[in-house]
Amino acid sequence: MDFMFLVFAALAVIGGLVMAFHHSIVHSAFALVGALFGIAGLYWTLGADFLGALQLLLYVGGVTVLLLFGVMLTTRDSARISTFRYMLMAPVVGMLAYFMLNTLRGVYAVVSELGVDAAEAAPTTERIGEAFLDPDVFLLPFEVAAVLLLLVLIGAVTVARRGSSDEGAA
Amino acid sequence: MTLAAAQNSVPLEHWLTLSGVLFTLGLCGVMMRRNVILVLMSVEIMLNAANVALVVFNKYLIANAPEGVALDGQVFVFFTIAVAAAEAAVALVIAMALFRRLDTVNVDDVANLRW
Repeated sequence: MDFMFLVFAALAVIGGLVMAFHHSIVHSAFALVGALFGIAGLYWTLGADFLGALQLLLYVGGVTVLLLFGVMLTTRDSARISTFRYMLMAPVVGMLAYFMLNTLRGVYAVVSELGVDAAEAAPTTERIGEAFLDPDVFLLPFEVAAVLLLLVLIGAVTVARRGSSDEGAA
Repeated sequence: MTLAAAQNSVPLEHWLTLSGVLFTLGLCGVMMRRNVILVLMSVEIMLNAANVALVVFNKYLIANAPEGVALDGQVFVFFTIAVAAAEAAVALVIAMALFRRLDTVNVDDVANLRW
């Protein structure tokens, strides 16, 4: 458990460092991916399996892609990416990720066989879902969050629409 | 020691230090960087630092509730993540509008309301 904490904490802190101080914004974005992945791992270390999955889906998968789109749309001379070099890199990175995941799975198997606390808290999904749908607990905030997301959807489309009224001569 | 805390070999202080370090990194990014997208990324890191603290406190402090492990902290993190996603979407749209209108994403250049 200590080992997993160190690995994921180092990933998160190094990612955060690179994100905050690297001069290239694209590198910063990818460092952010690393940091968010590390934090997802920390959630798993804490036995919060649902939150770890949520972190991966929403942050690593969603928010980061949104941020990269933002970088692309707001950078004038967008980063000249030499596609060929990165195509050579891709299989190497893929294999690295594969071995890393295998190692992690092995580590997780060892950890869960030792009976460390992950089993005590996880799985949390069912209990979190019941808390959301219980009128005495979190039903109202849950509905408010849904309304908020709908508002954001409509608001974002309205503001981003090309030729909206406040666009002027731009 | 509570059951959960006794089984967990990482002390609470380490988690809180980690959370504080992440928050500080995000704060550095917000204060030092001038690209509005990067400021947004730093805010996301700060939110995540707070989320880590919430989950840790949920595990270490609430976990010894008599009727089992309460999950309020994790539910709060769920809401934080939802709000953070909404915030990211709106902020990116604002950055795009800013770029189209003023042709810049430098926060120092956007001083129209300053007097």
